[in-house]
Amino acid sequence: MAEFLLEIGCEEIPASWLPGLGAQLRERFSEIAGREVLPASHVRVLWTPRRLVLAAELPERQADQESVVWGPSLKLAQDQAGQWTGAAQGFARKNGTTPEALQLAAKDAAAPEERYLRFIRKTTGRPAMDVLPSMLAATLRSLSFPKRMNWDAWLDDGKGAFAFGRPIRWIVALLAGQVVPFTIYASTAGAKAGAILHAGDETRGHRFLPRGAAGGPIRVASLADLQAKLPAAFVMLDPNLRSARIGAGLASVGAAVAKDHAVIEEWRDLVEFPSVVAGGIPAEFHSLPREVLETVLVHHQKYLPIVSAGSVTRFAAVTNTEGGSAAAGMVRGMERVVVARLRDAAFFYAEDRKRPFGDRVHDLAGVTFHHKLGSYRDKTERMARLVDAMGSQMGLLTKPEHEAAREAALLAKADLTTLMVREFTELQGVMGGIYLRAEGARESVITAVSCHYQPVSIEPGSAPAGRFAGSDATIFSAVSLADKLDTLAGYFGIGLMPTGSSDPYGLRRAAQGAIRVLLDFWKAAEGEARPSLRRLVAAAVAGYGSTTAQPAADTASDLEAFLLERLRFVLVARDYPPDEVEAVLGAREPDALDDVHESRVRLEALHLVRSEAREHFEGLAVAFKRARNILGDGAPTTTKPELLAEPAERALDAAVEALAGRNGDYEARLRALATLREPVDRFFDDVLVMAEDPQLRANRLGLLARTLSLFYRIADISKLGGQS
Amino acid sequence: MNLQDVVATLQRYWSERGCLIHQPWDAEVGAGTMHPETFLRVLGPKPWKVAYVQPSRRPADGRYGQNPNRLYKHQQFQVILKPAPADVQDVYLGSLVALGIDPAAHDVRFEEDNWESPTLGAWGIGWQVLLDGQEITQFTYFQQAGGIDLAPISAEITYGLERITMYLQDVDDVYKLRWSNDTLYGEVRQEEEFQLSRYSFELADTELHRKLFDSYLAEGWRTLQAAGGRCMLAAYDWALKSSHAFNVLDARGAISVSQRAGMILNIRKLACAVAAAYVAPPAEAKTGEAARG
Repeated sequence: MAEFLLEIGCEEIPASWLPGLGAQLRERFSEIAGREVLPASHVRVLWTPRRLVLAAELPERQADQESVVWGPSLKLAQDQAGQWTGAAQGFARKNGTTPEALQLAAKDAAAPEERYLRFIRKTTGRPAMDVLPSMLAATLRSLSFPKRMNWDAWLDDGKGAFAFGRPIRWIVALLAGQVVPFTIYASTAGAKAGAILHAGDETRGHRFLPRGAAGGPIRVASLADLQAKLPAAFVMLDPNLRSARIGAGLASVGAAVAKDHAVIEEWRDLVEFPSVVAGGIPAEFHSLPREVLETVLVHHQKYLPIVSAGSVTRFAAVTNTEGGSAAAGMVRGMERVVVARLRDAAFFYAEDRKRPFGDRVHDLAGVTFHHKLGSYRDKTERMARLVDAMGSQMGLLTKPEHEAAREAALLAKADLTTLMVREFTELQGVMGGIYLRAEGARESVITAVSCHYQPVSIEPGSAPAGRFAGSDATIFSAVSLADKLDTLAGYFGIGLMPTGSSDPYGLRRAAQGAIRVLLDFWKAAEGEARPSLRRLVAAAVAGYGSTTAQPAADTASDLEAFLLERLRFVLVARDYPPDEVEAVLGAREPDALDDVHESRVRLEALHLVRSEAREHFEGLAVAFKRARNILGDGAPTTTKPELLAEPAERALDAAVEALAGRNGDYEARLRALATLREPVDRFFDDVLVMAEDPQLRANRLGLLARTLSLFYRIADISKLGGQS
Repeated sequence: MNLQDVVATLQRYWSERGCLIHQPWDAEVGAGTMHPETFLRVLGPKPWKVAYVQPSRRPADGRYGQNPNRLYKHQQFQVILKPAPADVQDVYLGSLVALGIDPAAHDVRFEEDNWESPTLGAWGIGWQVLLDGQEITQFTYFQQAGGIDLAPISAEITYGLERITMYLQDVDDVYKLRWSNDTLYGEVRQEEEFQLSRYSFELADTELHRKLFDSYLAEGWRTLQAAGGRCMLAAYDWALKSSHAFNVLDARGAISVSQRAGMILNIRKLACAVAAAYVAPPAEAKTGEAARG
């Protein structure tokens, strides 16, 4: 075995790409090495923004390979006189040998008398050093990036132009300390030109450190050598060590990592040598709302707020420096940026509060939602009417819930007229909540306004999970749904539905948000009415009256299909097997859009029971596919007992009869239905469905249809695949 | 170092590295990229190195001369290196050293920030360069301009002159910048900022600007399609003018979300047609590189 070391030295790779690239590098290289009969072991990957490093143990050469090439059968290979025929001669010639040197063997152990010519092709394994250059090219090509760029590069691997995530500036490629020959060429006018770089044994340190001696090449012989030499050049190759240094740095500046700010994760991969520094926030800004400070610090500057005595008084930042005494000047620069932004924010905050927040509702008449769909004033009024429909017509809200949701719907968009939201658009909703709180509004209204743009992510447990208690969750749900469904109904009504990958108005996200509200937030107690997405869509579409171009019925049915598709997407994203999702959403009733929450309960039951009785379900799926093919849609489900001729059909009829009236939860019903497998299989084995006698045939079709209908109330079992 | 020293230093630095020092384009533009010495010269195979200052007008960013960080018109120092040399980042960092910034004493970072100009059909991959948390430069490897895939790839380096100089002078208010040794930025520009802001937020005639927008585009197309060709440079000026008219309307709040996309598309179509004419073989179009000598 020999150590293979690869370091791809790049211009700064985006931090968010790096963990994924590390994993890809490991997987792709291992695959390629396996394909090249150089199985890699002890594969390690490490990275910084300027380098991707892989080390692996490889055999020094490929194992010798033998493969069998089959030729013509003996019958065709020899004539009656026992002479080699043209076919035999040809086969031998093709393999560079003579017929006498070929073997005779049976292809099939069950037919030992049928013998064939065969040639054993021996391939001598090549040294790893000879194979690695092409493996290297394949590995570089195999990495995928969220965005790749052309940089006028060319690889001599037959594919030519070579795009990558960022330009590559050096490559260390060593097998047992020896340089693997590899070159990246320039491409000029679509053709190969001179070399840009050759792989070598020289790495680079930090761009600027150590001061006065940075940038020079550092010769390395192995991963251990690389890891030993890079720290002196201010490069911490191991992401875990960088995290540890960041943790220690945060502790040293007195920053408790209270919240799991994703920003700290990002810090690790933004720099090669993390040093944490801390800056102060002048007292005049301490009273700004926490969300405003965090937006400026975290979103705009990637700094971490440090809280003391309940307010954000300082911030921590990561630098790509030694830290220590040099840091004072840097901190001054950072503070200046932060102060400039906070000064803007403080000014906006003070200006915005000069008027009662509720007055801004009138200003919304001047803010265009969409020029064909009216202003945000129009939108909030439609939202309020949709909330009214949920409350009075659908009976989904109690009177206090209805009142709070209506108030929140009318106020939801008012912060779009504030200076703060115009400047920090990511604070929409949140600022509304802040200004309402400052005016002493009700908590339920505050949280509904604050969170109504959410949920944005489809991850269970992501925001706004955990923000609400009791009926506040329902009030939020009503407002959030009203907003999203109104947007969807409007854009669909004027024909602006998403196409392909293009979704400029974020309608997929809106639909997924609506579905997540129904799955995760609208918690109806037992016996309480649950929202029907179908009815809500109808109400949302009706809310536009005749302002939209499409007929309302068309809009509603387009939108229903779209929501069903998004429901499928969300459920599959939550790791339910796609065929089970298909089976549940394909059931005729209950209709998934009528009760989204319930469809998930069914799906869970199906998933559980199927995993207990996988074989039964596979058998049933096959049988039901057959049944569906025979029946088509809409076959009658009646049978006449006196026409049941065969024992197998009487048995199936009895089994179906026994299960027909069965109630109880989905799990129990599915378990019972799984027992149908045996009589169904027997029915198909023993009974000719398409009997000549039309009466018999109709009766049998009816029996099949009845059997299927037992399942249709839970899931369309014929959608289940054999494998997954 | 005052503002004009910064400009002089950058001009000398890039001149010594083979750049032609050009002058600002004499039409309103939103960024140095729109200068034809960038937008058109990055097209086609011919190497090109240029640097220039470009005053950039962004009407919606006007603040009546009252915001210490935001300007209707700021100044960019733009460098194009075509093709991008392999040590382009180091050469750029050398320019910071020339300005007196010791990267080893600061936190200088290249953080992902890709650039896109929907009006020009142009985009690129790159970074913002942060100096102690302050964005001082946009660094881009152009991938497309005028809807045309580029080869070779150009590096575009755009310095924000006010930002860098504020940093060098350690001032928090742009109007307190020393432009020369005895004159402040505010003395030169604050009144202009007020008046330009007032015009674009309050006075600009939106009906007139809508007509101008349409007329500029129409004139651009008419020019581009004139018999005999060889007029795409003049047509491009009309595309720039339409873009500025759009920006004025936008600042006046006269453009709705859906109109916006359509107007941007119309500018882009003209810009892309100009770019296509520019790269067309001279034999076909009697224009392009040959016409420019």
